[in-house]
Amino acid sequence: MHSSVVRIQNVFGFFTTVAFVVAALIAASDLIAPRTPSANVALKDVQVVRGRPHYYSSKKEEYAVIKFSLSADLSSLFTWNTKQIFVYVSASWPNSTSTELTNEAVIWDTIITNPSADHLQNIGPVAMKKLIRSAKGKSIDPSRGKIELKNQKAKYQITAPTGKVAETDNVVLRVHYNVQPWVGILTWTPQIEFGSWKKIKGGVSKAFKLPPLKVKKEEKKE
Amino acid sequence: MADQLLDQARELAEGQIDFEGQKLAELLATALLATVGAISFIVGFFLQDIKLALYIGLGGTALTFLLIVPPWPFFNRHPVKWLPVAGTETKSQGILVDGQVVG
Amino acid sequence: MLSVLQNPRQAAAQLLNFGLILSTAFMMWKGLSVIADSPSPIVVVLSGSMEPAFQRGDLLFLWNRNWFEETKVGEIVVYNVKGKDIPIVHRVVRKFGVGDEAQLLTKGDNNVADDTELYARGQDYLVRKDIIGSVVAYIPFVGYVTILLSEHPWLKTVMLGIMGLVVVLQRE
Repeated sequence: MHSSVVRIQNVFGFFTTVAFVVAALIAASDLIAPRTPSANVALKDVQVVRGRPHYYSSKKEEYAVIKFSLSADLSSLFTWNTKQIFVYVSASWPNSTSTELTNEAVIWDTIITNPSADHLQNIGPVAMKKLIRSAKGKSIDPSRGKIELKNQKAKYQITAPTGKVAETDNVVLRVHYNVQPWVGILTWTPQIEFGSWKKIKGGVSKAFKLPPLKVKKEEKKE
Repeated sequence: MADQLLDQARELAEGQIDFEGQKLAELLATALLATVGAISFIVGFFLQDIKLALYIGLGGTALTFLLIVPPWPFFNRHPVKWLPVAGTETKSQGILVDGQVVG
Repeated sequence: MLSVLQNPRQAAAQLLNFGLILSTAFMMWKGLSVIADSPSPIVVVLSGSMEPAFQRGDLLFLWNRNWFEETKVGEIVVYNVKGKDIPIVHRVVRKFGVGDEAQLLTKGDNNVADDTELYARGQDYLVRKDIIGSVVAYIPFVGYVTILLSEHPWLKTVMLGIMGLVVVLQRE
């Protein structure tokens, strides 16, 4: 520590150690925060049409358009180390040969940021101002974890590599989440209960069958 | 001339402090950084505010740098008392500390 | 500088020390690679396609073993596309089938469309072996220095200059 250069090196070296330890503690503090999410998802309407599901699709294929309702309470997932929650609803269905749900497709998703990450959202300036104002003075905002959707149209259509999805049976909708921390491990909807992290309550719809192909009006449908 | 200038620049960049000062600097740096880390975690956790924790951590570290790096007078309060030069035939060889000549 | 000539043993010790640091870093990298079964267990985010989850410069830790369950929808994976040498970090949004033959479709959270157009010509889906790992842990920002150095090469010169200055200004 006799010269300034050595002092800079030593202080910086110990700073990195302290920063690493504090980061590890922050990541570990996630474990003691209870997680008790619940969700209800139900199918409202489903149609199977034939067309180009995406603007870049080269060939026509069958795809399912879904409307669903979702009411979820994910507020317990928001702690100081939460950067964002990625909430997604998927449709799963088995192959013709088994009952196992071997296929899964995300039909709707949303990103809920904690106020600490609001400035990172990719939204317009007006929406950004509104978002930031909604959390003024709050460092975390668990109320954002409450979702109420009625008759929500899916963002993504269900397709299959074979190009055929009509009359697929035993389709279920499921709600999942992915917690993105500021530092530490990423977590998804748990399959087993772990400490104070509970499984999601509900979050699975009744099984349903996709209807037969709707032949008419396919061009108008989008 | 150039040698003199370089020497002056070295003097300035070196920011030498005495042995007692080195001990104090080491202790201060460790204690300050550890305290800042602890405060930033505790405040952040109880106020559930990660940005505040980050600012406390960075601000405290900047303060620590400011306090430790420059050769403040309080690091130079115990100058080494050298023995008087005994005879003129021996040039000062300096003292070797960690492979570097000091003094 | 003269001390190097005067004291070759010290110079050799310094050289060995430097070599030790390099080889330790290399061993830790390769060790992590073996544990995670991934050729690149730590990656730096280079694009904004997963914002706001990942910014450029964030550090991601990958895991490439399926001990308890298969790679599934919702996971964020890093994959390589044939003919492109930069790996991509995106989220799996569709999965058809199970096992090594399962067809996976990915999409960046910040992108409107899925990745079909990013894949190789005639490739509509990924398979498991295209994936070099799933993101399991995250540290923000610390990889940003690598992005700075690769995008602004003059910074390397500046760094070398500062190092040189430190050496010159130190008394031997």
